[in-house]
Amino acid sequence: MNQTAQQVEKVIQQRYKAGFYTDIESDRMRAGLDEEVIAMISAKKDEPEWLLEWRLKAFHHWQTMVGPNWAHLNLPPIDFQKIHYYSAPKQKDRPKSLDEVDPKLLETFDKLGVPLHERARLAGVAVDAVFDSVSVGTTFQKELKEAGVIFCSFSEAVQDHPDLVREYLGSVVPYTDNYFAALNSAVFSDGSFVYIPRDTRCPMELSTYFRINARDTGQFERTLIVAEPGSHVSYLEGCTAPMRDENQLHAAVVELVALKKAQIKYSTVQNWYPGDENGKGGIYNFVTKRGDCREDDSRISWTQVETGSAITWKYPSCVLRGDRSAGEFYSVALTHNHQQADTGTKMIHLGKNTTSKVISKGISAGKSNNSYRGLVRMARRADNARNYTQCDSLLIGKTCGAHTFPYIESSNASAKIEHEATTSRIGEDQLFYCRARGLDEEDAVAMIVDGFCKEVFKELPMEFAVEAKALLEISLEGAVG
Amino acid sequence: MSALLEQLAPEAALAEDRYADIRRRAHQRLMQHGFPDLKTEAWKYTSLRLLEKRELGSGQGESAGAPEALPFAADVIHFDGGVLRNPPAELPTGVRLEPLDPAELVNVDYGDRAGAMAWLNLARFEQAWRLVIESTLERPLVLALTMPAGFATAVHPRLRIDVATGAEAVLIEQQHDEGAGLVNIVEDIELQRGARLRHVIHRRNAESIWVQRTRVSVSADADYRCHALELAGRLVRQDLAVHLLEQGANGEIDGVAFIDSGQHVDWHTAIDHEVGHTTSREAFRIMADGSGVGVFNGRIHIQRGADDSHSDLNTANLLLSDKARINIKPELEIYAEEVTASHGATIGQLEDSALFYLRTRGLPTEDAMALLKFGFAAAPLETAEPEVVRNWLIEELQAVL
Repeated sequence: MNQTAQQVEKVIQQRYKAGFYTDIESDRMRAGLDEEVIAMISAKKDEPEWLLEWRLKAFHHWQTMVGPNWAHLNLPPIDFQKIHYYSAPKQKDRPKSLDEVDPKLLETFDKLGVPLHERARLAGVAVDAVFDSVSVGTTFQKELKEAGVIFCSFSEAVQDHPDLVREYLGSVVPYTDNYFAALNSAVFSDGSFVYIPRDTRCPMELSTYFRINARDTGQFERTLIVAEPGSHVSYLEGCTAPMRDENQLHAAVVELVALKKAQIKYSTVQNWYPGDENGKGGIYNFVTKRGDCREDDSRISWTQVETGSAITWKYPSCVLRGDRSAGEFYSVALTHNHQQADTGTKMIHLGKNTTSKVISKGISAGKSNNSYRGLVRMARRADNARNYTQCDSLLIGKTCGAHTFPYIESSNASAKIEHEATTSRIGEDQLFYCRARGLDEEDAVAMIVDGFCKEVFKELPMEFAVEAKALLEISLEGAVG
Repeated sequence: MSALLEQLAPEAALAEDRYADIRRRAHQRLMQHGFPDLKTEAWKYTSLRLLEKRELGSGQGESAGAPEALPFAADVIHFDGGVLRNPPAELPTGVRLEPLDPAELVNVDYGDRAGAMAWLNLARFEQAWRLVIESTLERPLVLALTMPAGFATAVHPRLRIDVATGAEAVLIEQQHDEGAGLVNIVEDIELQRGARLRHVIHRRNAESIWVQRTRVSVSADADYRCHALELAGRLVRQDLAVHLLEQGANGEIDGVAFIDSGQHVDWHTAIDHEVGHTTSREAFRIMADGSGVGVFNGRIHIQRGADDSHSDLNTANLLLSDKARINIKPELEIYAEEVTASHGATIGQLEDSALFYLRTRGLPTEDAMALLKFGFAAAPLETAEPEVVRNWLIEELQAVL
C-alpha cells in the first residue's frame, strides 16, 4: 500500500463517538406492522380521526408496493415484522418544560453536545430533541412564539395546529411517492413542525436532533416546514445512534413548502452509527426529503454532510414550481469501511426562469461505495431555466468505489444545463507539497479533504461547519494508512 | 408484450440448421425475460411499443439495389436487404469472410430483458458471418447494409469482425434504410494486440426500427476509434460497448446525431476499463429539432484493480425547437485508485450572441443558424481518418443541414 493510502487508513480507524447507549426505562410497542399497531401509535398520540385514516391509507398502499432495487446498493432484505415501530422513554405526563424532563435524557443530549438546557442560552439555537419515537423537549418556545414562529414536535402540532398540519402534510411527499415514504406515512411517530408567518425572519436557527436509542426499533420521523410569503428560516438537523451489531432502520420524510419570496435553508449533519470495520451493524438511512418552491421567487437550499449510516439512500430535492424560484444542493458524503451511500438530488424545473445549483463532493475510503445519483429535469414550460451541477469524487484506497449517475432531461429549448464530474485520488504531489511545509501526513490529508469540501462547508451555519469539519476529520482518521 | 414475442419469435419458425440449438436456447431466454419496458433502466427513455404496432411480415426482404457510391476508392461488402445474397467474388488482400462457427455462439449471454433484442437476434438470425482482417488494408472496407423502400419484415444480421495482431483498417458501416421494418443487428469486434481500427458508422433511416448492439474488445496496445454520423430515423437504438482488456488498450468514440420531427435516437455507449494502464475518450453530440427525441447514455466503468486508467467523456447537446427533447446520462463507475475520470455534459441552444455576430457580418438568419449548427455538429467528425473519409462525413452532414 502506498503512503497516502496507509495514512488515510490510519485516520479512519477512529471510534464512533456517539455510540453509547442510554439505559432508560421505555414504553415500547410490540414488534410487527399491521393496522392494530398503526391504530395504537395514533391512539398514543391522541390523533384526530382523519390522521389515522391517512395512516391506514398509506399502510394499505405500502402493502401493494415492492421495495426498490435500482439504487447502487447491496441491501439485505428487511423483515418489517421484526421492527418495533414505537418506543419512547417512560414518563408519567408529558413534561411541560425542560425542567420536568428526565435528567437521564438531558444528560444523553448533553453528552452528544446538543444544548438543551442552560447551554442552550449561550448557543442561541432553538432545539427540538427527538429520542426514539418521541420529542423530549423543545427549547426557546417562548421567544419563538413572540416572533409568531411555531416550532414544536409534530405530535404537538397535530394537537395545537391541526389545520396547518392537515393542509400541508403529504402535499410535497404524498404517501404514494415511494416505498419508504409510504411506510413512514403509516407509522411516523414524531418529528418537528415549523411554521414561519408572513414576512418574518426567524430570529434564531432552528434545530432538531434525532437520537435512536432502543434496540430493534426503527425511527420514522416526519418534518414539515412551511414558510409563508416573504419569510426566512434556517433549520439544522443532526442525528446519532448507539453502536450495535444489528442494523436499524431510519425512514424519515421531510417536506418543505416555500411560498412567495420565502427562503428555507435546511442543513443536515448525518452521523448515524455506520457499522463496524467489518460492516456489521449500522443504520439503514432511507430518507425522502423534498422541498416545494410553490410560489414565485422562493428559494430552498439543502446542505448535507453525510458521514454516518451503513447504507444511505437519500435525495433531497427541489420542485421549482414558482417562476424565478431557486433550488440549491450542497453535499459532502464520506463513506468508509463497508458503508454504502447512494445520494444526490433532484431539481425539477417547472417554472420560468428557475435556477438550480448542485455541488456534490463524495469521498470514498475502505471498502465503501459512494454514489451520486441526481436528476435535473427541465419541463416544457421552464423557459430560460438554468442548472449547474458539479460532482467531484475523491478515492482513498484501492478497494472503494465512487460512482456518478446523473439523469439530465430537457424539454425546453431555452433552458441551459451544465454538468461536470471528476473522480480522482489525493495526489502524491499535493501531499508532498503539504509535507514539505512541515505538516504531518494526517494533517495534510485532512487539509486536502477540507479544501475539497470547502464549497459545501461554507454553506453550513457556523456551528455546524465546525462540527462537520471535525466529524470529517474523525471519520477519515486512519484512512491514510 | 407476449403477443410481440409470438410475433417476432414464433418458436415454429426457428430454422433447423447447425445453429438450431443456439437459436432454441436464445428463444427460451427471450421467453423467460420478455422485452424491456420503460422501467428497465437501460430502456428508460426508449419504448419498444412501436414494435407492437407494426405488423412485420416474415421471410427475406427484397433487394435494395446497389448502395450509394462513395467519393473515394473502397472495397464494398454489400448486405442487400440485410443479408449477404452473393458473397463477394473477390475480397481485398488480407480479408476473409466465412460463416461463423456455431461453437462461438454457444456461451454468449445477453443477461436479462435489457438484452432482449440481442437474444431475439440470436434466436432469429438467418446468417452469421465472421470477417477477418489479417493484415493492414490499403483502402477503406465498407460494410454496406441497405434496406429497400418496401421493407416491412424483420432482419437480424449477425457479424463478427476480427482484426489480427498488428493489422490496421478503416471499416465503414454504411447503413441506409428506406423501409419500415425491423433491423436488429448484433456485431462483435475484436482487436488483437497492436491492431488499429478506424470504425465509421454512417446511418440514415426512414420508418424502420433499427436496433444495433456493437461490442468491441480491445487487446494490448490496440487502438479502437469510432466516428459516428447518425442521421436518425423513426426509432434508432445503438448500443456500443468498448472493453479495454489489456494494458495499453485505447478506445475512443466521437459521434453526432441529428434528429428531426418524428424521430427518436438512443445511443448507449459504455467504455469498460477492465485492466489498468488503459485510456479512453468520448465526445458525443446531439442536435434535436422539430419534435425529435435524443437520448444519450455514456458510461465509463473502471474495474477494481484497473489502476492508472484515464478516461474523459464529454457530451454537448442542442435543443433547436420547443417540442424537441433530449435526455442524457453520463455515468462514472469507478472501483480503482490512481485513476482520472471525468465527464462534462451540457444541454442548451444556439447562442444568441453568436447568431447576432454572424448577422452583423451580413449573413441571413437561416444561413447563420446553419453555420452555427454545422460548427457544432462537425466538431466530433473533425478527428476522423483518413482525410477522404472525414471530408465525406462532413459533406454528408452539410447536406442535411
